[in-house]
Amino acid sequence: MRMNRQRELADQHLRRLEDGEGMVNSFRADFFRMFRANRLAAFSLLLILLMILGAALAPVLTPYAYDDMDLQRRLSPPSAEHLLGTDEGGRDILTRLLYGARVSLMIGVVPTVLSILIGALLGMLAGWYGGITDTVIMRLADIVLAFPSMLLAMLMMFALGDGIINVVLTLAMMNWASVARIVRAETLRLKNAEYIDAARTIGVSGPVMLLRHILPNCLPTLIVLFTLNVPTAILTESSLSFLGLGIQAPDASWGLMVNAGKNFLFNAPWLSVIPGLTIMVAVLAFNFLGDGLRDALDPHLKDR
Amino acid sequence: MKMKLLSRLGQSVIALLGVALLLFVMLRVIPGNPVAVLMGEHGDDAVIARMTEELGLDQPILTQFFRYIGDCLRGNFGTSYSLGKPVLQLMGDAFVNTLQLSLAAAVFAWVLGIVSGVIAAVRKNGILDHLFMGISLVGVSIPVFMTAVLLQYFIAFRLHWLPISGMAGWQSLILPAVALGWNSAGSVARLVRSTLLDILQEDYIDTARAKGRRQMGVLVFHALRNAMLPVVTMMALQFSSLLSGAVITETVFSINGIGRLAVQAISGRDVPLLQGTVLFATALVILGNLAADMLYSVLDPRIRKGG
Amino acid sequence: MKRMLVLLLILCLACPYAMAAGVESGLMRVAVKTDITTMDVARTSDDYMIPMNVFDRLFETRLVDGVPTVVRSLCTDYTVSADGLVYDFTIRDGVVFSNGSPLTASDVQYSFERLLKINRMNTEIAEEVAGSEQVKSGEADTLSGFSVKDDTHFSVTLSAANAGFPAELSAPAMSIVDRETMTEGFGTVPAETVGSGPYTVTEWQANDHYTLVFNEKYWGDAPTVKKLVVSVVPDVNVQNMQFLSGELDLIDLTNQDASIVDAMYKQNPDLASRIVSTRKVGMFFFVLNNAQGALRDAKVRRAIAMAIDVDDIISSLYMGDAVRETGAIPSGVWGHSEQLQPVPFDPEGAKALLKEAGYGEGQIALEIAVDSASSGTIQNVCQSIRSRLRAVGISAEIKNYEHAVWLEKRSSGEMESFVARWGMDYNDPANILYTFFGTAEKTRQRSINYQNADVLSRVANARSIVDDDARLKEYQSLEEKIIGEDMAWVPLLQDMHLYCRGERVESFTPQWAGFSDFYATDVVLK
Repeated sequence: MRMNRQRELADQHLRRLEDGEGMVNSFRADFFRMFRANRLAAFSLLLILLMILGAALAPVLTPYAYDDMDLQRRLSPPSAEHLLGTDEGGRDILTRLLYGARVSLMIGVVPTVLSILIGALLGMLAGWYGGITDTVIMRLADIVLAFPSMLLAMLMMFALGDGIINVVLTLAMMNWASVARIVRAETLRLKNAEYIDAARTIGVSGPVMLLRHILPNCLPTLIVLFTLNVPTAILTESSLSFLGLGIQAPDASWGLMVNAGKNFLFNAPWLSVIPGLTIMVAVLAFNFLGDGLRDALDPHLKDR
Repeated sequence: MKMKLLSRLGQSVIALLGVALLLFVMLRVIPGNPVAVLMGEHGDDAVIARMTEELGLDQPILTQFFRYIGDCLRGNFGTSYSLGKPVLQLMGDAFVNTLQLSLAAAVFAWVLGIVSGVIAAVRKNGILDHLFMGISLVGVSIPVFMTAVLLQYFIAFRLHWLPISGMAGWQSLILPAVALGWNSAGSVARLVRSTLLDILQEDYIDTARAKGRRQMGVLVFHALRNAMLPVVTMMALQFSSLLSGAVITETVFSINGIGRLAVQAISGRDVPLLQGTVLFATALVILGNLAADMLYSVLDPRIRKGG
Repeated sequence: MKRMLVLLLILCLACPYAMAAGVESGLMRVAVKTDITTMDVARTSDDYMIPMNVFDRLFETRLVDGVPTVVRSLCTDYTVSADGLVYDFTIRDGVVFSNGSPLTASDVQYSFERLLKINRMNTEIAEEVAGSEQVKSGEADTLSGFSVKDDTHFSVTLSAANAGFPAELSAPAMSIVDRETMTEGFGTVPAETVGSGPYTVTEWQANDHYTLVFNEKYWGDAPTVKKLVVSVVPDVNVQNMQFLSGELDLIDLTNQDASIVDAMYKQNPDLASRIVSTRKVGMFFFVLNNAQGALRDAKVRRAIAMAIDVDDIISSLYMGDAVRETGAIPSGVWGHSEQLQPVPFDPEGAKALLKEAGYGEGQIALEIAVDSASSGTIQNVCQSIRSRLRAVGISAEIKNYEHAVWLEKRSSGEMESFVARWGMDYNDPANILYTFFGTAEKTRQRSINYQNADVLSRVANARSIVDDDARLKEYQSLEEKIIGEDMAWVPLLQDMHLYCRGERVESFTPQWAGFSDFYATDVVLK
């Protein structure tokens, strides 16, 4: 009886995966249910999309280049010509904000995706195979997690040098460990689930099992982790820039703009307040979205 | 249970050694000779070469590593390039400041977090709940340096309520502690709220509320005691993020702490100092995690019994 | 319970910070961005605050009526031999170090030899004394060119004549230390860092602050500043707030963006009247690697000079607080002249000259290397140069390097172009010309790679021309050749060093060369 029930479950699950329908459908349903229930999350998503759009259309939206200096117009307050004013090099702040969005959003997204890919892979391997694999991977994760994150980031930036690519690498290296821990726990939990047992009995091999059964089941968790880690990455980049270890001028990122502007707080507060608020709004939007997604997709992550 | 703790201890030591090795390799492969920075504008190639040799920086990395670990075990962390003093002495002075700052920040975070978390839980879906949870989300979303710079500008400079920077007396601790504790307060509040809500089913609350204030207080008190487990664990784990935040707060408020020492070490390309501070901070985090484990096993009767 | 807590919290926050009502008289408070590395002048060429205030030298260079003048300090009298090689010095009698030990001629000798034996920094001046090589290499224990006659008389024989020797002896590097009580802790432990100057160090809390207190045994006049506390405040914005709140008595406005200084200080009539401004004797220049690609051509280098609008940089990035430099001997230095005319800003002319040299639009690529540790103003100067060069068809790109990597690349002689500054240590053109153009090795280490060997040897030889006028003439002719003709670097500007006095400070005279370090005796408190 029990055997039959397992078989049935496994077949069902395999079929669903085969055409990909069920998964995506239920996912989509979850997604829309969330937005109906959580207007804030929906609004946040809209805001994020707007920011992406602004970043993508930056060359169309503004007549200036992000590194155009105009020394005669340094620190001019917001005006019709420069909607948000100019910075200490006479560069248009709105322009830099739009181009900075490219860098900042990229720095939020790319390292997070990288760290989730690495973390998910290592976490699944550790959880599934156990033994020495588990020990090695988790001890490595321990090492990374033992560093206070800011110090690790500073150290890596120091070792790698300035520049966007190095910021991306640093942030990816910082975050994979916690992802690996969560995915490992998730894998351990799923390993004992009925249908996995069932799949194993019908002789599905390890890697296939991981890719087709464990990974899809971790997906909601990973998506939530993604939305929650993006703001952390953005904040870390801004902190690094604040310490002068992040992106360097004339490149633009929001963190860099806040840092460059902080010395002008007295006579040109808009220089750092505007990008600072932008960071806050972006981070808030990602957090609300992440909260909403978590409630909808992955209730057991709620305590995290 | 003893076995478990011992194995955790072993893991911690391995992690610490791993950190040391990683740190060491990272700091040795970076381009640029730290001695040249030390010499500045007046650097002379011959002198730089001689000093590099004196500091043993021309040796193979592995030799340098084992020598360093040996020195560390003997309590010698080297001499700072940029401050000219023994690293251990510098860290000792700085640690006192960082400890004061972190403790003050932690107290602020926990008091604020627990109070607002409890209120939010008791008034679930009420105005206060939404307000506190909204504020806590905003709190988590503001970069630490913005909180710090704004507090410094308005409270200290404009209103003259508190000192602008430095570390003299308890007043100068308040602003940095608030700036540092703000983020943690947000997460503590959210954790307290969700844990309390898990424990107190809604109808319990309704019943209690119906029965009057006193009853309600007793209930919350009991629930809170049970809810302390995850909160206490989180407190120990928060140590890592407090240290991270301390880097920024100490920089903004010119406090000579471990975090600023690390910043100083980086800008001065001061390898011994950087090695020392990072190793020290890492050891603290590992200790914090160990403490969290132990607290957990002491506080959670299930684990204690299960041994 | 929770109400109590909230109340307590509010109380804590609202508790007004009791401002120090009265500041102890004779106390002066200043802030610096980074802490000193050491108190020992043999181990630093940056941190001169302690050497200048805790130690004495034979001479001092002071601004007298705005003119840098060499004045006697420990030295009361001296004579020079006709060939300029032998100096006979008489030093002040009865001077004691702050620990009571007498200061004698043998301490002077020891101080010279100590620099050479430690052989780390600031050895250049002691190296001019005969026999210095042997002491440096360890062959000899004492300087053969130094002979002590009695406690207050000694003579120094140089290996080559140098008329500027007394001026050089006023450099902080030539501080006199005590032979008898020298200890291991000298330079790191305050109590063991003993000098004969107006102050003693009483404490040094690394990365936090250090304190100087008036030395009761000082031989000179008592200053009004009896105690000086120098605290480390890395953020200039915080320094501004502290100064405006009366927590600092003097603020160094250098390294702040000129627009901030303008808005916060110059536009405020009360503060504006308290601004003290002095030359930062030295200059900024845009170095072009004379040995790389198109830059080998002097025409290209001249075209680059024509493309850069230095006056625009001065008026906008420095808000006028800078003077234009035209050569290699900075304004305010003995021997500076107006012989070289500024290269006019002329983008069209630059384009034509580039064409003449055989380079069309976009054919020259130029990397401007920026030290990421340099100030925001310098980074903006580099970006301004980049925009101007692009406007004349040079594909200029900025590349940021971490400080150590920047230094290493520059010393390798491979750096293509960069903005650099040289600040004068002593008042003689040799200080800048010899450093950059003294030997092929020196010019390579600065990534200039100046090619004319004949000129290099003339620079080296000029130092031993004893006759002041003849020496000056040679330096000016060299300047004309190196910059006027060859445009080895593009001279940019000399910025002013601005300070603002606090309400408690009556007057302040900065150090002659505009170092951030100053003599606390030059501050007069109300």
